[in-house]
Amino acid sequence: MGKAWDSVAFIPYAEDNLDYLPGTQASFTENSMSKERSHKATKVLERLSKKLNRQVVGSLVACVHCGMCTDSCHYVQTNPDDPTYAPAYKADRLRKIFKKHHDWTGRVIPWWVGAKSVWTDEDLEELKDIAFGKCTNCRRCSINCPMGVDFATFNRMTRGLLVSVGVMPEGVSVVSKDQWEIGNQMGVLKEDYVDTLEWMAEELQGELEDDSDMIPIDKMDAEVVYSINPREAKYDPRTIADAAKIFHFAGENWTMPSEGWDMTNFGLFSGDDDLGGAVAKRLFDKVIELRGKKLVISECGHGYRSTRCEGPNWAGMDIPFEMESSVDTMLRYVKEGRIKVDKSRNKTPVTFHDSCNNARSCGLFEEPRELLNLVCENFTEMYPNRAENYCCTGGGGAMSMSEYTPRRLKSGKVKADQLKATKTEIVVTSCHNCVDGLNDVIRHYKLGMEVTQLVNLVANALVIPAKIIPVSIPDEVLVLAGKKILVVDDEPDILTFFSTVFEDNGATVFTATDGDEAIKLAMAEKPDLVTLDISMPGKDGGKVFEELRTNAETSTVKVCIITGRPELRKLIYDRKVQPPEGYLDKPVDEDTLMLNVRKVLELA
Amino acid sequence: MSTSKKINNSTLRLEKGDITDMELEAFVFYAQSDLALGSGFGNAISMRGGLAIKKELESIGSLEDGKAVVTGAGEMKATHIVHAVGPKFQEENIESKLETTMINTLKTADEKGIKQLAFPPMGANFYGIPLPDCARIMVKTITEHLKGKSGLKDVLIIPMDNREFKPFEKALNS
Repeated sequence: MGKAWDSVAFIPYAEDNLDYLPGTQASFTENSMSKERSHKATKVLERLSKKLNRQVVGSLVACVHCGMCTDSCHYVQTNPDDPTYAPAYKADRLRKIFKKHHDWTGRVIPWWVGAKSVWTDEDLEELKDIAFGKCTNCRRCSINCPMGVDFATFNRMTRGLLVSVGVMPEGVSVVSKDQWEIGNQMGVLKEDYVDTLEWMAEELQGELEDDSDMIPIDKMDAEVVYSINPREAKYDPRTIADAAKIFHFAGENWTMPSEGWDMTNFGLFSGDDDLGGAVAKRLFDKVIELRGKKLVISECGHGYRSTRCEGPNWAGMDIPFEMESSVDTMLRYVKEGRIKVDKSRNKTPVTFHDSCNNARSCGLFEEPRELLNLVCENFTEMYPNRAENYCCTGGGGAMSMSEYTPRRLKSGKVKADQLKATKTEIVVTSCHNCVDGLNDVIRHYKLGMEVTQLVNLVANALVIPAKIIPVSIPDEVLVLAGKKILVVDDEPDILTFFSTVFEDNGATVFTATDGDEAIKLAMAEKPDLVTLDISMPGKDGGKVFEELRTNAETSTVKVCIITGRPELRKLIYDRKVQPPEGYLDKPVDEDTLMLNVRKVLELA
Repeated sequence: MSTSKKINNSTLRLEKGDITDMELEAFVFYAQSDLALGSGFGNAISMRGGLAIKKELESIGSLEDGKAVVTGAGEMKATHIVHAVGPKFQEENIESKLETTMINTLKTADEKGIKQLAFPPMGANFYGIPLPDCARIMVKTITEHLKGKSGLKDVLIIPMDNREFKPFEKALNS
């Protein structure tokens, strides 16, 4: 660079004058003997150069700091006195680096445009706090920006830059590694997944008294290949059974793959495009191998976006089959008369929460409403809705980042107020992430609402053809007969509810309200199962769990963690003992409780 | 293209699958220096192998970068696991560190008298080493090791899917 640059070097307005020296990165190092860039910071800057594309650069240069985005953010609304939550402020954390290294304004007038580089690992930690901990990438600010700045896009890119040097929340690391190496983001092993499908198929055969193959696995040349969120296999298999029931009565030629079945993609959240491509390609390759005609994606916002909208680009593939959300599939079945529904079976007033990825990013907002009106008697909108709806608080992988839970729940006040104003009892959403995010908000703000998905409502409204009459299980068949269950929880209501459910199903139940009592009872009674709360006064569930596992007399007792504080799950899973056989979030209904207990106890 | 190569009296071959669920004498786990199993393959080892592996690792404690150690494989289909601490996330001199890790892993397996050893794509994917670089270094170090004095008769590289398989196939045939 020439002399003109040199005169800029002495402008004294910088937070860090060294940053405002002219020239390239190399010249900084040469000129600044006292300041060396860390290896990680260097790698982040190198990768930034490779990741910049027209979309990102457009957003990085277009912001005029008008502030239109500010009030659109649920974090800002719940932290009005903290400017660090403002989308423009957050965006400027990356923008200043871009200006420093890639924009002429940063070289000519760095003090004016706030150009500033990253130097240390601490700088990267600060970026991490913003990129992962103060934004769910919901894109509400993006659609409210008159300049078209898509902050979420380059916030995601920032996350990707940090992940590439190993700077990420622990939960992001855990989930990403599971998806890279196990093939799904919840680490569900193939045998457990297939076992769950077979179990649900058997349940349906029993319920419908029909020996047909209720969940065909790896069937070639099917019209529909159905892919799911691993949360369904791990925590909520009822949604798989409900979908299977719908496909069965629609007479669909369908299948589920034994591998490459996870349609979620943590690459969308972590910003790791390589993970995004790898996961999408596994799923696409499997559909091609099965010669499937259409890939149907179960109700999951980020799964739908990353599979249908982003996946082909990440994977670099031309996709030779159709893709659609299961919401479209179910709606089509009803409209074409392939299934009959009776909306009077869903009388309870419901509202609908738009998943950010489904609605804002993929335009899927009228279809779920049309379906809701076909299967529910009493649907009330929440406001604002559709593309202007607010995040459930669980977007962008926030549910996996327990260190930011207090911020997330505080920001949930906006969603809580929206839900409360509807005066409904059930909130419906087409996203598994939103189910968890909404449940957390409902619990935290004591709204007493239930969260469900369209697949559950459609299955409940299904009119079963007359010749196939479901037979209820006779009263005398008690599935838990002969089983001893120890219920450990400090909430009397929970103890009563769980005990009643288990006793009604034939179990002998013992209860404990604290950790010491739980250990004593477990030693004395040797139960078949312990349902264990984590957060309790005195000895917490984590310690109780470890004691049970390490005591020779109780080490083989099956344990199902049932907690209202999922952010505490590290207390269980970080222990160096065999993980629990089951895990459930509160609130939990009777069906979900029994399904999971039967699974843990391996009962048909 | 071939998916196996004869080197002296040994074979280096590719086989797609889940390395933690295969009938093998031993497989390599890309470990952390504190030897915590963690998620991903570590999760699969915990779930399929049972507590014995964790207990054995606890008794070992920790391991220096680039080194490897052998444990039993508990209730898994394999008999042994070679835990190797390799480089991660674009750290400095990553290629030479990966080479060192590979060499030490192969030596450790030989010292234990292991005849069949399977590797995942070492340091690729989650830890970010590009697959073509990973494949080149792995094939090179295994080939050089088998050209010397080694008791290893069957060395496998286990890519998980088509995307991982192709760079290894290319490296094996170059």
